[in-house]
Amino acid sequence: MTDQYAEVMKAIVDGDDTQAAKLVEVALAQGLPPLDILNQGVVAGIHKTGELWAANKYFLPDVILSADAFKAAMLPLEPKLKESTRGKKAAKFVIGVVQGDMHDLGKSLVNAMLTSAGFEVIDLGIDVPKEKFIAAVREHKPAILGLGAYMSTTMLEMKEIIAELEKQGLRRGLKVMVGGVPTSQEFADEVGADAWGKDAMLAMQKALELVGGKNG
Amino acid sequence: MANPTLEMIQGLLYGKGLHIGQPGRLARIVGVMAGGKMDVVPFMGPQIHDHAMTVAKVPARRYYWDAKLLVDTHMAVDRWYGFDSDTIVADAYNFEVEALGAKMIYSDIAMPTVDVSDPLIKGPADLDRIGSLDPSKGRIPMAIQVGKFFMEKAPGPIAGGFFCSHWSLLCQAMGYPKAVRALKRDRGFATALFDWANDRVLFPFMQAYAAAGVKNANGADAWACFPDLTPELVEEWVLPYAKKLREQSKKELKMTAAAGAAAADYCEEDPAKFSKEMMFKCLAVGVKTFPLKVAPSAMGRTQDWDMRWLREFAEKEGKNGKMIPVTASLNGRFMRDSTPAQIVAKLAEWIDILGRDGGLLVFIGNVPADTPSLNIHTAVKATHTLGKYPIAADLTKIKIEPPTYPTFDEWLKGQPEEETIRKAREWKPDNKKVIA
Repeated sequence: MTDQYAEVMKAIVDGDDTQAAKLVEVALAQGLPPLDILNQGVVAGIHKTGELWAANKYFLPDVILSADAFKAAMLPLEPKLKESTRGKKAAKFVIGVVQGDMHDLGKSLVNAMLTSAGFEVIDLGIDVPKEKFIAAVREHKPAILGLGAYMSTTMLEMKEIIAELEKQGLRRGLKVMVGGVPTSQEFADEVGADAWGKDAMLAMQKALELVGGKNG
Repeated sequence: MANPTLEMIQGLLYGKGLHIGQPGRLARIVGVMAGGKMDVVPFMGPQIHDHAMTVAKVPARRYYWDAKLLVDTHMAVDRWYGFDSDTIVADAYNFEVEALGAKMIYSDIAMPTVDVSDPLIKGPADLDRIGSLDPSKGRIPMAIQVGKFFMEKAPGPIAGGFFCSHWSLLCQAMGYPKAVRALKRDRGFATALFDWANDRVLFPFMQAYAAAGVKNANGADAWACFPDLTPELVEEWVLPYAKKLREQSKKELKMTAAAGAAAADYCEEDPAKFSKEMMFKCLAVGVKTFPLKVAPSAMGRTQDWDMRWLREFAEKEGKNGKMIPVTASLNGRFMRDSTPAQIVAKLAEWIDILGRDGGLLVFIGNVPADTPSLNIHTAVKATHTLGKYPIAADLTKIKIEPPTYPTFDEWLKGQPEEETIRKAREWKPDNKKVIA
């Protein structure tokens, strides 16, 4: 890993959004490959934040700031990533954390992995009301809708969203994935999801399987 | 014994071993809060507003606007379940921001909710635009009436009003992520936010309570639980402002404004991440939010806790190896999703670990609307049976038969709240336009 990638990673772990965006811009201007900046800097940074969260060294406020830095870094990076996959049709993936839930980390990690796998990710953010998910499915017509929750209180919202998609005739042709700490394969089956992502890596693999293994 | 002062004295004496008569509900709570051993482990009345509304089958659009209906419904449902006290709150986190002009979502079947997609505070300039709380706006007058009715119906130290404490108020007004960014990145703005919450919102609210004769109000701060905030951030921001409001209210209004309740509550959701060190840090901060020294548990995933940790903490905080009082709170989802047998087993485990020497109160974090009534009746019966002093050596040998109880409607006949509740059921949406 070059020092520049390590610096991008550090800015994301530190939750320094200004620095993260600036470092990515500099790296792009110097001609470093966008996919390497993404994987070795941005994804590595949000992954490290995930490790610190799991180890009880980072808490929700730290994670919120890391996720902010991740988003800031992605702003200059995304157009370059799209350029590098121009001509290839990327599958769309709408992702969001359900209403009442503010946990950004898992979703940001999945977002990063999906982006690196060539998906066009439309990130609705956290605390997303049901109506916003439905509207995004109507507008973007994604291949996959990803629903995240960290709390057992909020995960129940996923069932409501899937039911609403069915009710509004939007479920046909749309794959739905669920994920987050309290979810499980049993829960995914119970709410009628097509796949469950145990972690960000598996979520990406399952997403690729759902679109036939080809993307971008 | 209807006199609350006498009942409190009875509770204190009973808890110290001087048994004069059968302790009533208030006596049990007061005795245990003082660390005593009563006739049974008491079951504190939980936050139950949506569930009580569901049990009593009253319409949300009246229940959340009519103080008498809200108080009567709570008290009737609490007695039907046999709780030893009442916690009467409505959608306590919404009243201030609603009165200040936040967009709300109203429902026919559930409590009002803040529309987070369009927050009240978007930036520093909004504080002056919003200004101070006008206690005549929104449902603030209703909250004051709730406090008055509660005090009239259940006189004593537990009754009073409610409010939303500083940090949760800011989260309600601007959304949690924005509030966190202010705390971590912009100290000046964060200070302005907390000052505004205290001086221009909560203190005027307390003034209105005091003017109406409500001299006790509890301010919950669930958004300040762990891991939403670290114990260090709670110490730095939440506790000083809770103290400021408490002292200001005491000095200028001669009232108790107990701000910061549930701050630092250990709410880690992932059992794999449970940490004794972090739990103790949280408990040490949480203790400071209570007027009395109590080892608290509230909304966390307590069904997976090792309650020996809570005991160890309570002993550490106590003197000569005696625990400070403990509130053992059954998780709301656990209460909704478990079988009665699982609930009984959990209570047997907790009473065995925490209840043998007195000082234990059982509680439910917050009762979801769709919790089976059988589960709550079972929990109360199990607590009062397994928790009967002296506690049996082997609680697993005590069989708790399924509770038998009349339906709420059968029980309601002849109760003082019957007319209010039955009349409310006749209300139709066209009868009255609901305006915040």
